[in-house]
Amino acid sequence: MGACSNNPHPEPLEKKSGDGTPWKVRYAALPEDPRSLDPQVSYDSVSRRVLEPLQECLLEYQPFKTDPYELTPCLLRALPERFERSGGGIGYKCELKAGILFHNDPCFPEGRGREVVAEDVLYAFQRIADPKVECPALSSLQDYVEGLAETFEAARKSDSFDYHKPISGLRVTGKYTFEIHLKAAYPQLLYWLAMHFTSPVAKEAVEFYDGKVHDGATREMFRFHPVGTGPFQIAEWKRNTRIRLKRNPDYRTTTFPLEGWNADQEALLRPLAGKALPFVDEVNMTVFRETIPIFLLFRQGYLDGMGVGKDAFSSLITPSRDLSGKYKERGVSLHRDIEPSTFFMALNMEDPVLGPNRKLRQALSCAFNAKSNLDIFFNSVPIVAEQLLPPGIAGYRKDFRNPYGYNLEKAKALLAEAGYPNGKDAGGKVLEITLDTTGGSANERLMAEFDQQQFEQLGIKVKVVENPFARLMEKLDNGGFQIAAGSGWGADYPDPENFYFLYYSKNLPPAGKNHSRYQNPEFDKLFETMATMENGPAREGLALKMNDLLAEDVPHVLNMHRSTFSLTQPWAPRIQSNPLLEGGLKYAVVDYEMREQLRAQWNKKPAWPLAVLIAVFAFGAFLTLHARRTS
Amino acid sequence: MFAYLLRRLFFFIPIVFGVMLLTFVLFFVVQSPDATARRVLGQKATPKSVENWLHNRGYDKPLLINHTPGKPWHDSLFIHQMGRLATFDLGTSDVSGRPLREVFAQGVLPSLLLTLPAFLLSIALGVGLALYLVFIRNAVVDLAASLFCVALMSVPVMVYVIFGQFVVAQVLNYFPAFGFELSGWSTPKFLLLPVVLMVVSGLGADVRLFRALFLEEMGQDYIRTARAKGVSTVQVLMRHVLKNGLINLITLVVASLPFLIMGSLLLENFFGIPGLGNVLFTAIQAPDFAVVQASVFLGSLLYLGGLLLTDVCYAWADPRIRLQ
Amino acid sequence: MKSLDQIWVQNLSLLTGYSLLAGLIFLGARSERWRSAWRRLKGDTVGLISFAVILVYLLIGTLESIAVPSASGSRSLLQQLTRSIPQETSYAAPLASTALSLSDPKPLKSRHLLGTDALGRDTFVQTLRATRSALWIGGLTSLIYIPLGVLLGMMAGYYKGWVDDLVQYVYSTVAAVPEILMLVSILMVLGKGLGSMSIALGITGWVGMARLIRGETLRQVERPYIAAAKAMGQSNWKIITRHLLPNVMHLVLIKFVLGFSGLVLAEAVLSYLGVGAPVGTASWGTMIDASRSELSREPLVWWNLTAASSALFVMVLALNLFGDSLRRAFDPKQGA
Repeated sequence: MGACSNNPHPEPLEKKSGDGTPWKVRYAALPEDPRSLDPQVSYDSVSRRVLEPLQECLLEYQPFKTDPYELTPCLLRALPERFERSGGGIGYKCELKAGILFHNDPCFPEGRGREVVAEDVLYAFQRIADPKVECPALSSLQDYVEGLAETFEAARKSDSFDYHKPISGLRVTGKYTFEIHLKAAYPQLLYWLAMHFTSPVAKEAVEFYDGKVHDGATREMFRFHPVGTGPFQIAEWKRNTRIRLKRNPDYRTTTFPLEGWNADQEALLRPLAGKALPFVDEVNMTVFRETIPIFLLFRQGYLDGMGVGKDAFSSLITPSRDLSGKYKERGVSLHRDIEPSTFFMALNMEDPVLGPNRKLRQALSCAFNAKSNLDIFFNSVPIVAEQLLPPGIAGYRKDFRNPYGYNLEKAKALLAEAGYPNGKDAGGKVLEITLDTTGGSANERLMAEFDQQQFEQLGIKVKVVENPFARLMEKLDNGGFQIAAGSGWGADYPDPENFYFLYYSKNLPPAGKNHSRYQNPEFDKLFETMATMENGPAREGLALKMNDLLAEDVPHVLNMHRSTFSLTQPWAPRIQSNPLLEGGLKYAVVDYEMREQLRAQWNKKPAWPLAVLIAVFAFGAFLTLHARRTS
Repeated sequence: MFAYLLRRLFFFIPIVFGVMLLTFVLFFVVQSPDATARRVLGQKATPKSVENWLHNRGYDKPLLINHTPGKPWHDSLFIHQMGRLATFDLGTSDVSGRPLREVFAQGVLPSLLLTLPAFLLSIALGVGLALYLVFIRNAVVDLAASLFCVALMSVPVMVYVIFGQFVVAQVLNYFPAFGFELSGWSTPKFLLLPVVLMVVSGLGADVRLFRALFLEEMGQDYIRTARAKGVSTVQVLMRHVLKNGLINLITLVVASLPFLIMGSLLLENFFGIPGLGNVLFTAIQAPDFAVVQASVFLGSLLYLGGLLLTDVCYAWADPRIRLQ
Repeated sequence: MKSLDQIWVQNLSLLTGYSLLAGLIFLGARSERWRSAWRRLKGDTVGLISFAVILVYLLIGTLESIAVPSASGSRSLLQQLTRSIPQETSYAAPLASTALSLSDPKPLKSRHLLGTDALGRDTFVQTLRATRSALWIGGLTSLIYIPLGVLLGMMAGYYKGWVDDLVQYVYSTVAAVPEILMLVSILMVLGKGLGSMSIALGITGWVGMARLIRGETLRQVERPYIAAAKAMGQSNWKIITRHLLPNVMHLVLIKFVLGFSGLVLAEAVLSYLGVGAPVGTASWGTMIDASRSELSREPLVWWNLTAASSALFVMVLALNLFGDSLRRAFDPKQGA
């Protein structure tokens, strides 16, 4: 009977789908409640994961193309058209698809969602510039989009935002058409159009969901009640427990792609080509604050997939590179996706010991066994980073090897050349270096110990300083460190500029992110040329040259390109694995019959506990009777 | 008695003030509002976004006392927040903007659903087993029980939780290993395992406590008289021992009530119960000062409430105070 | 040389600690009450066994605390004694001959009785070494909260009036602030380490002791011998130290032993809260906390949790049983 089952999930929202087939549910896990589902605010990975199926963007990534990544139109009819502005600067002409509707929601008259128009995109851009909204994208976009910075400053001074005044950088030219005006060439703008910061927002929704009391009931705040155009809507949100999404019956923006996947997925994906989306009716995302329960429920078949969120740094669930026999028997699949991210230890080029001594930095780099690090802490799942750029970014070379990769002999030789033979300087004193890390979890502690051990192989002494996150950020900003572990960068978008700008000399902290304080005029010149070029062999050539400069100068000790790895149940095969998509729930499928069957198989109820319980009570009864007789 | 209680109440106001001041200092001495903003905004924060974040929440004001010329001395963060709390306006979360009144209101019931049954069950089981042991009076059983109780007390709570969830949930498939639902008949199946774990982890200490209490009572002269007169052990236990131990029992129960609202961090995290247990912990990690402050404020009120209730019980039991 | 200095300091502080203990026991031996308690204790089998177990732990902890010079600076004596046990690269199951990996089971340098941890360190050795952390936390914290709690408790109970009000105010305020917050904040300010953990636990822990001693003092003050001493014109300070203190010491001793076990248990929770022992320090708490991710692995890593929990369990059990014996020894009417 259902009452005695170990199924932790509530009954699905409905029994049957619109077309009469049984209601299909997908079960997923979240590490915490999303912080904000406001499209102009949402930046942490959990919030983005929940927002993605609800709020569509102007452009989106082709789900199957990851090398290189490709943008395809989503809310726009076609990719934006570049043009030269008469007064100087660049512009992009954009046109929205006609007939896309916002979700049905009480904020609209009669609760029916209205059509999306260009004014909604202007409203989104205005919100980006509104100081009260706190949009994380503003600092990047304001350098390129006309009028954004000025609008922000004016609003900050007057402490209010005038939504009736338009922004000079976003011109509405028709019901569905608009132009974006840029100060200078910035081809990466298109990537920003694939992020929800620039996604159109209905003014009615923002004004309706103000969090105040209306008619005796408190209305939600907009950041917890987004109104988008996406394939799903929020059906239920029980804080700290679960979020349930329900299919949007009027969804028609996109359909399943017609091509782009690998040959080995042909059998699975060909039948889906061109079909209407989404494939499932409901998505049930449960909040798990601990990892052991995720593992347990997956084993019982109550989660369709088990993976690690992008922001979760500690290696939570680390399945082996190969699955154990038990999992293989069950038909569970293991997937490994390399993220477009690179992790490294930042070396401070302004440090008196490390800065002027290139051979010392090279020696440190050669002493660090990244492969061993990955084997121990991440079960060999990520790949060793040989270069700054991760796979999938133009300029990444698969066959490039870090000239200062792990080689202990070379490290010792370089150290001697650097003036510290066997780790001791000319006066016989042992070289001491400080390694700053974030502390806290058991894993982070162990990783710091590992790093320490690696460098101490050279005979030098390493002092580990654990810092709370904010203090480490402070040290990175004011330069109070020698080596900072755990540094890294995840791509906002798949462009080499997003990574190389970390070493651009005009990007020094505290305003910029050049934590290593790398200042190389040759590098700068290449960067300035490359940054706004269109992709092509010339651009790649420049990227390669810049890579070689960094490889020799060693402003960082490279570690890895992080992977997301996940297990999926046999009834929930992987459709796409594009790490720049926040889940791609509209493409998810589920074979609910297989799931029911296997769940029953995996959750048999044993009878022996009852026997034990009876035995305990019998013993107690015996004791009582015995005592009665002797009392 | 009323005057006595009123005096106690007055005593509590400076305590709450002291607590809030201490919390404020503890939080901001450790990290400035600036550091808090950076932590929340993450690695990619810019100085401008940090400044904006601080301004929107009033953290750009001086912390304790305002020294800037032209501004009143009391235009400081601390004074403003105290003023707000005095009217029981708990504010909104720094990180998510959710009104805290809502956050706490939603978390109370799940926490109580976990702690209250566990508490009542612990008392019932503890008293019952203690009485049972006193009744049996078997030296071997006593020793075994004593060792067993101490053993139960010597296992860290975390090991109970981890083992309990891991072993029991995998072996028995009768109820869910995780999760929560607030609807009539399904709620008990989610609470069964965590409540049992909570009871078991405290059982050792409880049984020993009550057993010591009852044995002390049993040793009294009037009990010996009663037994000499032929009253059966059961009657002695029920009529005298239990009744006289009741006062202490009630005081214990009443004093613990406010803490029940605060939930259990470990159990709630591992079993996914959306209570108040992890609100403070998550807030310290975030860091979210607004939530920390509101939690501590409510927590101290509850704690002092517990003290007051204890005082009431003692005062009621002690005729000297009652008849004042 | 720096490492030699370190060795000197460590060993000296260890010696000081033990001398203090010896001194205390010597003082106690002078009291009749203590002598009769000792007599009773000698007949208590359970008590004696648990005391022996505690001594074993003390010995292991001491071995780990004694510093000896070695090639890489200083090591503990325990490390020196176990240096023949090699370190692997990563996890290995108990008594296994190959590393824990489904795809690439490399042969191990030697078999490990209880397996190895994430960095390949032998679990048995780590468990033994962790004894030091437990003893340090228990000992150092007690050194802080006991004098503080006893002194303030006695003053509050003896002087009463505004002194009592002040002490009650302070400890009510401290007790009303949630422990998690106090611990995390203090540790963030002082930085991680066994010393700062002890300070933090001491600051939150003296309240219970103060309350207990205050209650006992209030009871004792009514007794005739205090009135007599006052009539004889003895100063308050003398009365407190000469008459009052010895009469509450037995409570202090019992609370110390039982409190010790609570502190050792608390260490595990502190690791969960993120304010546990720092990098490089072996502790049962961090081993138990690490199991949260070890149990989510495939294949399962269960031996670190088991070893740490067992060691912790036995120590706390011994402390609790010994505490009970002490209670019985000092007051035979109580207990079974």
